[in-house]
Amino acid sequence: MIPFIAVVSLRKRDSRTFRLWIPLLLIWLFLLPLGILLSPVIFIVSLACRVNPFRGVGLTWQVLSALTDTSIEVEHRCAGMSFHFL
Amino acid sequence: MNEHRRQILQMLSEGKISADEAERLISAMEEPPATKSAEPDSTSAGKTRPKYLRVQVDSEDDGGHEGPTKVNVRVPMQLLRAGVKLAGLIPTPALNRANQAIHEKGIALDLTQIKAENLEELVEHLNDLAVDVDQKDAGNKVKVRVFCE
Repeated sequence: MIPFIAVVSLRKRDSRTFRLWIPLLLIWLFLLPLGILLSPVIFIVSLACRVNPFRGVGLTWQVLSALTDTSIEVEHRCAGMSFHFL
Repeated sequence: MNEHRRQILQMLSEGKISADEAERLISAMEEPPATKSAEPDSTSAGKTRPKYLRVQVDSEDDGGHEGPTKVNVRVPMQLLRAGVKLAGLIPTPALNRANQAIHEKGIALDLTQIKAENLEELVEHLNDLAVDVDQKDAGNKVKVRVFCE
């Protein structure tokens, strides 16, 4: 399943943590018609690069699906940042 | 299995083998399935497939200017698999150029050798991977850990 939410946490020195919940579902819903519109271009470019377009789309989907549970955290005395895909 | 047992018992009744020998033969016949059934249990219980690749960096600044820095990255193995497969789509000229750029940085890595066919083997070996690096220089202590969980 592709991630539906990304959580970005930012912390600056002596200030409270700022947490942003990004609804990726809305971004996917926005990108879906865009992808459909651009599919002929993607198809032609893939063929020009000698890449199977269907395999390319399939693998891109696999990468997006595998993003779930990815997390990156950086903590410093002055600031901190974390990024989670849910 | 029953056929072999019957043959052993028949040999025993005919006096061709002694009772001890018959017992040893039967126990030897029963051993292989027992060890076979024990193997998957030990591998599944002791060695579960790793789900994540973790990279942890702890930097302690003894000088007290910068303060400690901690980096914690968790990457799903599934993402590694998909990434390697996706890298397989990169055209060869582009891979060669990337290889050249990597070699110029002094890193001995050949991207053309990373293939989807070897992926499962790579992921399997990552299970046993644990890299610990401790570095101390100029009052700065850095600890890097790479492992699977």
